[in-house]
Amino acid sequence: MALQSPVSLSFQGLYRNFGRLAVLRDISGSVSAGEILLVTGANGSGKSTLLKCLAGLLAPDLGSIKYWEVGQEFTTAERRLRLGYAAPDLSFYDELTAEENLDFFARMRRCPTQRPRELLDRVDLPGGRMGHALSSGMRQRLRWCWALLHRPRLLLLDEPFQNLDEPGCRAATQLLEEHLANGAAVVANPGALDLPYVTRHLNLDN
Amino acid sequence: MSQDISIWTTEALAVFAKEWRCELRTGYALNTLGLFAITTLVVMSISLGHLGIASTEPTTVLPVLLWILLLFAVSAGLPRAFVFEEESQTAIALRLSARPSSLFCGKLAYSFSVVLALEIIVTPLFLTLMHLKIETMPVLLFALVAGGYGLAAGGTLVAAIIAQARSSTTLFSVLALPVLLPLLVLAIEITRSAVAGDPAPIASRQLLLYDGSVTIAGLLLFPAVWNP
Amino acid sequence: MKKTLPWILFLWIALVIWGAFKYAPLAEGFIGDSSRILFFHVPMAWGAFVGFIAAGIWSARYLFGNRDPRHDRAALASIEVGLIFCILATVSGAIWAKVMWGTYWNWDPRQVWITVAILFYGAYLALRSAVQDRQTRRRLAAAYAILGLVVAPFLFFILPRMTGFTLHPEPVVNQQGKMEMNPQILHVLLLGSSGFTVLFFWIHNLRCRLEDLAESAMFPSQGAHNDR
Repeated sequence: MALQSPVSLSFQGLYRNFGRLAVLRDISGSVSAGEILLVTGANGSGKSTLLKCLAGLLAPDLGSIKYWEVGQEFTTAERRLRLGYAAPDLSFYDELTAEENLDFFARMRRCPTQRPRELLDRVDLPGGRMGHALSSGMRQRLRWCWALLHRPRLLLLDEPFQNLDEPGCRAATQLLEEHLANGAAVVANPGALDLPYVTRHLNLDN
Repeated sequence: MSQDISIWTTEALAVFAKEWRCELRTGYALNTLGLFAITTLVVMSISLGHLGIASTEPTTVLPVLLWILLLFAVSAGLPRAFVFEEESQTAIALRLSARPSSLFCGKLAYSFSVVLALEIIVTPLFLTLMHLKIETMPVLLFALVAGGYGLAAGGTLVAAIIAQARSSTTLFSVLALPVLLPLLVLAIEITRSAVAGDPAPIASRQLLLYDGSVTIAGLLLFPAVWNP
Repeated sequence: MKKTLPWILFLWIALVIWGAFKYAPLAEGFIGDSSRILFFHVPMAWGAFVGFIAAGIWSARYLFGNRDPRHDRAALASIEVGLIFCILATVSGAIWAKVMWGTYWNWDPRQVWITVAILFYGAYLALRSAVQDRQTRRRLAAAYAILGLVVAPFLFFILPRMTGFTLHPEPVVNQQGKMEMNPQILHVLLLGSSGFTVLFFWIHNLRCRLEDLAESAMFPSQGAHNDR
């Protein structure tokens, strides 16, 4: 077990039901620094649910999730605040501009004040645009910025390239590559894009 | 340790500032609460003025009306503090970035300031329209501040609970009433004392105790309510 | 034990019924045989109180423990059985009030208390039915039950003062700490209250076991989960 790796996530025997419907049944896997765990499966096979469980947004009915950074283990509550997450159901405040949104979350995450500006430049997003006036591609760029605000060691990405145009995809892929220098990622629904460093596969069908 | 507290305060203040910035750009809460309260007040004043209750039994009835008015105005506006986070799905971003205790305190501070703003608008109007004379002003101010805080604290916690349920705004009144009833009775009692001109030490102490208990319950329960 | 307890309970309650009608004398100052209903009314009110406390304790064990679904089911069963006790106590009390005081309802402090308790139980069940996801439902319901337990004591202090007087007979032990009750009446009351407490937990236990069975029938694959 790579306990001394910069980051490592492993999950064992996860179950999650919605009502009578069993969405996750005995799912296990792991990922550590420099790796991408690619989650595949048909629609409705539980990819997004798995990512939500890993993010601490849903508690699994059964099973354990363990998370380490440099040999130190973190609880679910700590993991929730440490990881980066981008998914279609992640939204921001309509009444605030893109930059105000990031500034607010930067303060909640205790990161340096110039960080939001830096990321907005990286994905080429106009910071002064109001939240409700962002196009779907811009929202996706904002999700990338939000996920990387606090330089997380673990990224959980669900449909990370949806609605992105070509420059957007390029910027996002580059951000992901930089992240993998000493971080790990779990990716679901990457679309047609070829991902670098996919080292592990998890198929949720059956 | 003191550094932790200052960081924590910064976070709570950031939540507070964010709420007010969104509020000032939409004006939703203040418009709803204010207009609701003023409409109800006008209806009460017209119907009661006609019956002449205002002049015959002011001390018994009017404090009750004032607090029922405040309670229902609060039920119309406060649940939004958490309901809109769930509805616009910003709750996910908050769950993954804010510490529950600072989030709760920021939200509570915002709710309290909204209730205070409401009271500043409504109470003078109420006193004037209903011809209600207050003998001891400090006692009334105490009732408004401590009672308003209790409404905000109980209301914020119940709002956090119902935000994750369906048909949440109707559910708010159902769930909030049993919780807020002791507060309502105490605040009415103190307001009556303010009208009659006697001090209300027992009820005041119990009101402060209520505020304290609900705050502590909120801080303990909120993390479990907010996070899975 | 499972086999003998129902028989012991059967004899116990039979003894209470016999005691209520044959052993205890009529209480002074009561109209006709009306005092006999108290041997059932008081234990049922007591059972409602026990249900309220038990729901709070199980909810706390669920929320702050290891989130064992069985604790949540026990809390729900306490609320359900407690609600039945509440309604029976209210009805039996109202019948007696009609005989003694000439009215079914007069907002006596204890009537206010039981009304708020029924409102609270109702709100708890409404909350549960409004949440779709089972885990969220358990979490929110548990938090609400604990909140109810935190604010309930205030009603005990406040209500007697609010209405100023009570038509309810003096408590078993009055303020001077002297027993003024006929010892035979006291015997039956104590036997009844303890018997109804056991009855409460017996029904409660049946309800929990039924729910556990329904749960494992619904999710046979997760037997390990239910046995945890």
